[in-house]
Amino acid sequence: MWGWRSPRTIAVSAAGAAFVLFCVLPLAFMVVTSIIHPSARSTLSVWLDSRQRGLLLNTALLGGGTALAATALGVPLGVAFARVTLPFKPGLRILLAAPALIPSYVMGLAWLSLAQSPWMSSLPSAVTVLTVALYPLSMLTAEAAARGVEPRLEEGASLVAPPGRVLRRITAPLIGPHVLAAALIVFVLAISDFGVPALLRVPVFTTEIFTAFAALYDPARATTLTIPLLLLTLLITLVSVSLISDRMIVRRRRLAGRHLGLGRWRGPALTLMIGTASIGLGLPMTALLSEVRGVSSWTELLQGSGQAILNSLTLAAVGATLVSGLALALGYARSRARRSVAVALDALFVALFAVPGTVVGVALIELWNQPTVVGALYGTDAMFVLVYLARFTPLAALILAAGFRRVPPSQEEAAAVSGAGWLATMAVIVVPQLKRDWTVVWIIVFTLAFGELGASVLVTPPGESTLPVRIYTLIANAPRPHVAALALLQATVVLAPLALIALILGMRREQ
Amino acid sequence: MPPLLQLLQVTKNFGRHFAVQAFSLEVEHGESVALLGPSGCGKTTVLRLIAGLEEPDAGEIWIAGRRVANAGGNVVPAYQRGVGLVFQDLALWPHLTVRGNLAFVVASTSTAKHQRTERIDDALRRCQVDLRLADRYPHELSGGEQQRVALARALVGTPRLLMLDEPFSSLDHELKVALRTELVALRTQMQLTMIYVTHDQADAEVVVDRTVTMREQRSA
Repeated sequence: MWGWRSPRTIAVSAAGAAFVLFCVLPLAFMVVTSIIHPSARSTLSVWLDSRQRGLLLNTALLGGGTALAATALGVPLGVAFARVTLPFKPGLRILLAAPALIPSYVMGLAWLSLAQSPWMSSLPSAVTVLTVALYPLSMLTAEAAARGVEPRLEEGASLVAPPGRVLRRITAPLIGPHVLAAALIVFVLAISDFGVPALLRVPVFTTEIFTAFAALYDPARATTLTIPLLLLTLLITLVSVSLISDRMIVRRRRLAGRHLGLGRWRGPALTLMIGTASIGLGLPMTALLSEVRGVSSWTELLQGSGQAILNSLTLAAVGATLVSGLALALGYARSRARRSVAVALDALFVALFAVPGTVVGVALIELWNQPTVVGALYGTDAMFVLVYLARFTPLAALILAAGFRRVPPSQEEAAAVSGAGWLATMAVIVVPQLKRDWTVVWIIVFTLAFGELGASVLVTPPGESTLPVRIYTLIANAPRPHVAALALLQATVVLAPLALIALILGMRREQ
Repeated sequence: MPPLLQLLQVTKNFGRHFAVQAFSLEVEHGESVALLGPSGCGKTTVLRLIAGLEEPDAGEIWIAGRRVANAGGNVVPAYQRGVGLVFQDLALWPHLTVRGNLAFVVASTSTAKHQRTERIDDALRRCQVDLRLADRYPHELSGGEQQRVALARALVGTPRLLMLDEPFSSLDHELKVALRTELVALRTQMQLTMIYVTHDQADAEVVVDRTVTMREQRSA
């Protein structure tokens, strides 16, 4: 089936080429350009001046603080989901995961509305807001890891030791690598974030890149500044992936650990969950709602931002469709690859997803802003779609690969033996089994694309805008209620698909 | 003296599936009993109920004259029942060495710290595990070595009841016979009270004093 001219080889090769073009080439081109550019040597000094050392410290503190706090909050929640019998668990999980999908700058705006004090423009407050935005990653990882622990291992221990000791000595070491990997990814996502530090005026690398590019009109300096951030991101991501190897995505197991007698933790676990959901989601959304009451003219608001809203909806839908199509072929290739190749692809996907939006923005401008025919796309709305392809294809491929792994290769072999071609096998046998995964991926990519700011703010063509870019530009020169209304709209559009995902997962459970 | 183990009309359902229905069993001190029966008849569930890993829906379980479980649930938690269990898949803790696996069990007993090493070595020797393997991790051992370590781990806590859930099912015939012989010798030497789950009649006849045959359970 892997012959040179087989449909499978052609499809996977085409997807691979597209992946390289959209996701890998811009970054590689930027790195090479920054090295060979005539001004590179002079701009290399920007890495070493005292301002950069300060930025480095701020960036490290932002990442480290967020990773620690998100782990401290997320891991107990995840372990509770995996080990304690709780009412309304799916609903609680969705509520607690929701902050991860709401754009971080919306969270930042909401917290600014909540606590209108000078303290908000500080590193600790940026850490707090990013913790609220990123703890779901630690939570979901810890839950998946705890569910992945073979129940017999805990059962064997529970014959000789009380629940607390079993959790400490058996469960914790087994989920430890996953928790550490998640903490490292949170670190990377925190140092990659642009919206929160920009909003709270905390100078870090991402804001400095934006300033160099958009305010100082110094692309060479901006490009040079991306390199340490890019290398740090890639390095940490690779370490985190190596910690969990090919166990990145584990299958759900039945609720293990019932025998551990954690029933008495039900009350505290529920309290922690409801408290976290209230602070992480309820409080910020309520703050935005209370600000929105001050909107003087909805007509004026919609007239000013209607086009940006429409652009965002359209472009996010186009981006989600292209990304999920490309990711389908990539996910298939990853799921059927040899173990070593699969691990390498996982690492590449995670690393590319973690690359900061501002870095991706600079890289896309470097590649597509050319005087030749290549530059035809530059200055058009297609740049937004290129941003979505570059940023979200790796994540989508990773999720779909997990879906493909549920379909045993023997099913394809059985179809092949029956005389079916590969395309027919995919269309009739394999892909139909993944239609829910595919739908979920589309919704996730749409949600992320709809909230994308870091790269979009750099590639936005003159006279065009998306909703996140519109919100970001209005922050400084529009009434607060107007900004809050747009931010709330942003959050609503994100939360609605989340409710749809909950519905899909609920249907799956019923089946 | 009451029997070491009593199961009185114990029932366990998983949803609409009757795993165990009104099952009774008595095991005397020093006796070894085999639970025989086809797959799905509830043999493993009986072991899990005795160990405290499942709760009965009806009936009572008594160990050494103490009621440990009834229809209301487990009265005595698993770790206080003094039961050792060798799982079918062994369930050796992969992040701990052989010594670490046994040390976790010994640390849960009242053994003085300076005696723990001696006790671990003794258990390994009894189960014919080469002490040079003590610092290896489970995945670095052969199937037979893993089997012996699992047995040593179950014995090092000096349980009053040792239970084995088809422990040799994944081994080739020669190794199975060798380990079975070692188990019989160990049982005699240590005067173990034992429940041995198998679906192999010949296997049971070699290892135990008495066999109890379970029937296939049905769904509601």
